[in-house]
Amino acid sequence: MKNIEFKNVSKYYNLYSAVKDFSLAVEKGERLAILGHSGSGKTTVLRLLAGFIAPDSGTILIDDKVVASDGRIIKEPEMRNLGMVFQDLALWPHLTVKGNMEFGLKARGIPAEEREKRINDILQMTQMEKYIHVKPAELSGGQQQRVAFARALVLHPEALLMDEPLSNLDFELNLRLTKEIINLQKNMGFTLLYVTHSLQEAFAIATRVVVMKEGMVVREGTVKEVKSYFNEKFGHDIDRSEA
Amino acid sequence: MSRRFTLFLFVIIFAVIGLLPILQMFINSVVVDNHISFVNYQMFLSSSRVWILLKNSLTLSLLTTILATAVGAPLGLLFGKTNLPLNNFLVFLFMLPLLLPPYITAVAWFAILGRGGILSGVLGASVTEKTSSFLFGLPGCVLVLFTTLMPIVMLLTITYVKTISLHLEEAARLVTRWRTVARGIIIPMILPGILLSSILVFLLALGEVSVPMFLRYDVFPVESFTQFSAFYNYSTGTAFVIPLILITFFVLLGERRFLRDKTYQLKTTDSGEETLLVKLGNTKWLLFTVVSIFCFALVIMPITALVIQSASVSTYLKALERSYDSLLRSICYAGIGATILTVFGYFLGYLIHKKTFSLWRAVDSFTIFLFALPSTVIGIGLAHLWNRPATNFIYGTAAIIIFGYIAQYTALASRITISTFAQIPPSMEESAQMAGAGWFRRMFLIIAPLAKRGLAVAWLVSYIFCLKDTGISMIVYPPGQDTFPVRTFTLMANSPTHFIAALCVIMILITLLPMGVLGFLYRVKGLYK
Repeated sequence: MKNIEFKNVSKYYNLYSAVKDFSLAVEKGERLAILGHSGSGKTTVLRLLAGFIAPDSGTILIDDKVVASDGRIIKEPEMRNLGMVFQDLALWPHLTVKGNMEFGLKARGIPAEEREKRINDILQMTQMEKYIHVKPAELSGGQQQRVAFARALVLHPEALLMDEPLSNLDFELNLRLTKEIINLQKNMGFTLLYVTHSLQEAFAIATRVVVMKEGMVVREGTVKEVKSYFNEKFGHDIDRSEA
Repeated sequence: MSRRFTLFLFVIIFAVIGLLPILQMFINSVVVDNHISFVNYQMFLSSSRVWILLKNSLTLSLLTTILATAVGAPLGLLFGKTNLPLNNFLVFLFMLPLLLPPYITAVAWFAILGRGGILSGVLGASVTEKTSSFLFGLPGCVLVLFTTLMPIVMLLTITYVKTISLHLEEAARLVTRWRTVARGIIIPMILPGILLSSILVFLLALGEVSVPMFLRYDVFPVESFTQFSAFYNYSTGTAFVIPLILITFFVLLGERRFLRDKTYQLKTTDSGEETLLVKLGNTKWLLFTVVSIFCFALVIMPITALVIQSASVSTYLKALERSYDSLLRSICYAGIGATILTVFGYFLGYLIHKKTFSLWRAVDSFTIFLFALPSTVIGIGLAHLWNRPATNFIYGTAAIIIFGYIAQYTALASRITISTFAQIPPSMEESAQMAGAGWFRRMFLIIAPLAKRGLAVAWLVSYIFCLKDTGISMIVYPPGQDTFPVRTFTLMANSPTHFIAALCVIMILITLLPMGVLGFLYRVKGLYK
């Protein structure tokens, strides 16, 4: 069943086309990586899906319902039930870990008892329960990552959008969190759209990979298929290299 | 070595010009017959007049602050966060009274509400009896100071709103609508900034002398000015400013203690990141109408009243004839003052930004302390320190006015420079250093060109504040060398209203002139590129 669909979507900034005739369908519960250099349009795809910007042409659907089309946002971001983890994490500095998680739950009118349960469950899953009353600035980089995931997941989103959230971490932490993300996705069953410029990250997290260049899809397939495409392109085993 | 020496030299000069007069005043107030004594304070505190003045000063400052915050913060949010039509133009109009000597706004309101004002022509003398008695006293002072100082809250709110990272708002927008985002994320994050602007408004209202003097409302600065200038009573004048120094000191101490660590590190104002705007939808034109009417009533109407009252060529010719010398002097002093302030701001800003030596925090605090201090305090302090035969080459010349500008307004230039430095990657200077460039070469050939936009803004802001300065100039100007705002203020006592209105309009024009020139350079010469 299709969870997310882009139909011939284009987005222009002045004369520069960030996304050009972009089409993509993502199944429910799928882990999809969008891979590309900076400026390839991958973040614009996430922002279009989130509803922060409207496509200049084309249609975006979530669960077969049109959410944006031809310059119009039909469903506002808060009505799309999506979670997002930003590259800079965007944790609200004036709120504690609990405050960060509670904000969205309160906004959606979830009763206090249910809120407590959800927050405790997610914090337990992400091993952050003892930091519940701590502010983001007092946490380490890895802990902040976990809070960002927890904040997005506590709302039980249809899909989780991740915009290069691990790019600033060291290799070891990156590897550990990658495993945690996969485990969380398997346990909770949400659709995952993971944007990255790193081949290794994309291949480690996703079951399917879309390669973007200059706002267009240049390759799409399973991890194995995309890997062999890059192996051919670069003439060596890309498992040992980075994009 | 050259870096530390140069910066230290600037600190010493600043301390001599700005701090020494205040320190000397304080020491004089507690040293009696070569002994430490609080007898001056005992005498001072036992006077019932002191308590009346204290009550008046605090009432005026608090009411102005509450009103300015209650109006300025929502306006700042509206201008900074929404797609309200003519956003920038409205901000400019609201900002106009801040750029002028405050008493000009008082004169403008007098042109409407006072006896013989425009309102009396429309509604009759009986109505203007009431409006005039409203203007002269506490309500009028609050109205004028609110008009003058509200833009501070508005502008700082806009600045803080624009520094919130796009992602922090987007993360909230994913889960809720704008109203809740504003309540739960934006406002709590900018609250320390709003409080800071409120504190600034409170201190500036507390130290204002020309408006309460014109509208005849007894407050500390007026009393100290009168004691000093009219009765040449230095010790009583000093006694009346000590409470102002103490209030300013403790308010800023509180700000440092409770607000400094609460200011969140967001993004730089010019990071190139777009700002998420709230689309107002159906309410856009309604809000635009309400804000425009408010702007008309608060800013356009009083200034138009001045223009109407002065609308005759002969009045302007007469006004220029009687003031052209002070007008030229003002422009000249303001230009020199702004240039020196920009240099001070550049070097002291560098010291504070780079934390070059441990004094940086003290320098930062003292520049802000002196900016917040009432101008009469600085004026009286400068006069007492430099008014002696050996230093007459300073006190008897325009140098004393420039000293006053440096003492009071260095914080403006240094703050603007610091925020400019924050946008220049450290690697710019480091790579020049690696290439073998000495500190002066780096400062003039690498950092200054990169900071030229900030330096131009620092110069412009300094120029405007020097140009409109009334409090310091009124106390320290050497005989025959008064500035334009002082000449206008002096002439107000015995000149016809249309003549004063013309002087005020000229003041408005010479304030707007450099803004126009820099705006032109911005568009044509690409100054900021």
